[in-house]
Amino acid sequence: MAAEVKPAADADATSQDVVMKKRYLAIGLLAASMTTFGQRNDSAYVKRKISTTDIQALFSYYTQDGEHSAVTGGRGTEDLQVYSTSLELDHQKDSIRSFHMMTGLDIISSASTDNIDFEMSSASKTDFRAYLKAGIGRKLPGSGFTAGINGSFSFESDYWSLGPGAHISHSNSDQTREWTLAAQVYFDDLRWFDHGKHEELIYPAEMRHKEWFDAYRRTSYNLSFSLYQVINRRMSVGFYPGVAYQSGLLSTPFHRVYFIDETGRVENLPRSRFKVPVRIQLNTFIGSRWILRTYYRYYWDDFGITAHTLSAESPIKLSRIVTLIPFVRVYRQTAADHFKPYGLHEVDQEYYTSDYDLSQLESYKTGLGIRYAPHSGKGNTIFKEAEIRYAFYKRSDDLTANMISLFLNWEK
Amino acid sequence: MGNLHKCFLLFLLVAVVAACQPVRPYQRVYLNDHEMQHGQHGAQSFEESVQTYREGATGGGGSKTSGGCGCN
Repeated sequence: MAAEVKPAADADATSQDVVMKKRYLAIGLLAASMTTFGQRNDSAYVKRKISTTDIQALFSYYTQDGEHSAVTGGRGTEDLQVYSTSLELDHQKDSIRSFHMMTGLDIISSASTDNIDFEMSSASKTDFRAYLKAGIGRKLPGSGFTAGINGSFSFESDYWSLGPGAHISHSNSDQTREWTLAAQVYFDDLRWFDHGKHEELIYPAEMRHKEWFDAYRRTSYNLSFSLYQVINRRMSVGFYPGVAYQSGLLSTPFHRVYFIDETGRVENLPRSRFKVPVRIQLNTFIGSRWILRTYYRYYWDDFGITAHTLSAESPIKLSRIVTLIPFVRVYRQTAADHFKPYGLHEVDQEYYTSDYDLSQLESYKTGLGIRYAPHSGKGNTIFKEAEIRYAFYKRSDDLTANMISLFLNWEK
Repeated sequence: MGNLHKCFLLFLLVAVVAACQPVRPYQRVYLNDHEMQHGQHGAQSFEESVQTYREGATGGGGSKTSGGCGCN
């Protein structure tokens, strides 16, 4: 069947309709353009910089016990409790400038510290440590570089510290690689601080007949590098080498050491120490809910200590806002050259310690954390997350410790 | 043997970095996850400070190596 052909009159009417519609559309657009206007200088719009502040609070309780207190020559109770609180603020003023501050207070109750004066019948001595660290950072626009400086202050009754530092970092354009170089120096004073001033080094009560050391300062230089590299969409690796050099009084003035002839002296360690830690970390997503965070650290220093650390955390996302975090860490170190247990030091040794922190030891730590991250809130304040974490720590010399922490995070 | 061990670790690191794949911003869902971030997370930082007091080795991975406290 042949297609129908419209009469010529009907075709003309259709084309006229189209032309009229186009004219009406043009008139309408012209009218609209005459009544619209751009942004006026007197509009209610106010230009504001978008700044954010991240607030983190950490509350921790730590308790330990052991039988190798360095205060009593490597033998005696190491019973100790620490109540720790800290507050950390990260303020991003704009896309370029940032400010960081951290402050905290630790309350320390230690039976071994009480034994400096051999007041065995008294309650455990209570001490405290307070600290403050602040820093600023600035992105250098267009270069990928960020630079910053910081300063820290820390004091407890037998230790003062001032610490300036600086860092520079670079991130590539697609943020798959970032490196950071940081330098930190600590100027420490080991004199007992009382009544608003530095007093003197505190030796064990029965050893105060002479000045064992003519130095009371300790200086520590730390240089650390970090390299973060994205491997693929689910995996990233980090490489963290560092070096540190310490000089000055490195022993603890109130630690006792006993010799084979049953005499006692104040702990004496070399006046310098060089340390090299290197850590490699690998984080990867396995499936859609399971993450594996692992790291290995190798450590060496010229005290004779070589150490290996292996850690694994395995966060499991139970839901969008709840994560379970089991973890385990194992550690092994060789003894420092100058370490010997109670009563085994030779009389003619130049350096000597019975501090079991420097002995040959293995340790393991295991525990569980639960993280709740609703990212909810009212107005400008968002509650980001809460995490509670318990860890059990045990050393091969039978020192055991339990620690529990509560972490809270907001953003404003 | 110790030097061989270190050379192997260095080779492994170079091989891993060389095998990297490009990742575009819209493909970073897993990488941007909180649990995937490197360094110490929240409650973990207190445990790190405890370990600097109770062990001879310190440092590596963001924490300070020495100084500022009566630790090792």
